[in-house]
Amino acid sequence: MTARAATKEKTDTKTEPKTSLAPPWNVIVHDDPVTLMNYVTKVFKQVFGYGADKAHRLMMEVHQSGRAVVWTGAREQAEMYVQKLQAHHLLTTLELVDG
Amino acid sequence: MWVAKVDEGWLFGDLTPASVETLTGVPMLIESSDARVRGRLLPETCDGEEDEQHWRQHAVPELERLFLSRAQLVRRDLAQMKKMPESVNGLLLIPFEHVNAWLAALNAARLALYALNDMTAEHMTPEGFVTATPKQQEAALRIDLLAEMQGVLLGDDDFESAGSFEDFVME
Repeated sequence: MTARAATKEKTDTKTEPKTSLAPPWNVIVHDDPVTLMNYVTKVFKQVFGYGADKAHRLMMEVHQSGRAVVWTGAREQAEMYVQKLQAHHLLTTLELVDG
Repeated sequence: MWVAKVDEGWLFGDLTPASVETLTGVPMLIESSDARVRGRLLPETCDGEEDEQHWRQHAVPELERLFLSRAQLVRRDLAQMKKMPESVNGLLLIPFEHVNAWLAALNAARLALYALNDMTAEHMTPEGFVTATPKQQEAALRIDLLAEMQGVLLGDDDFESAGSFEDFVME
């Protein structure tokens, strides 16, 4: 609390622009040997509204690379997508974007 | 097993007693409290301990409720299963409006069977099947049967309606 007050005072006096954008989060789907490939494609289309080509490409990336970032953006929305993907039993994790 | 698309949904006929037993296991697998199953259906999601705890508190209860309600829906459809005429085999109707729930339920059941039987990716291949234990082989066959049903529910391009469900049911 104290540190925050000190920072505020400092920025106010120097009139620096306040650019506190929240960092983006990645929604990551991992490969598993059980889930059917066309089921994964269907879920991507259904959850994100992706077209058939994009959904298929992402599914193939999951299958071939073991994982794929399927969406990036604000944390709250990323959490919602993770929950929807897990509702369909895709192995999904949430990760803060590096940097 | 045969499949027909009827006015009300997908009809799976000539389900052997073993297939029926596999299907009746689906809701129980979704509801399993086994740590291996729960670990797969409700996996660790966040990197940090605090974030993970937040996830467990806020997102997981809703997922658990969804899984239970899905298990109930599948159980209700299974309770409506009929017997094939002059046969011990079963006849199951999956209404169109239940297809999405069934797809997810079948996926959950397959993942649960895989986890409960300590299977590996190798066991899912023809070469690995031979080296699996009898219990794992049985699980692999059940996983395949459920995949076959998922495959039908995923692609309806080649099917035309074969009439009404009632046409297939002979009291």
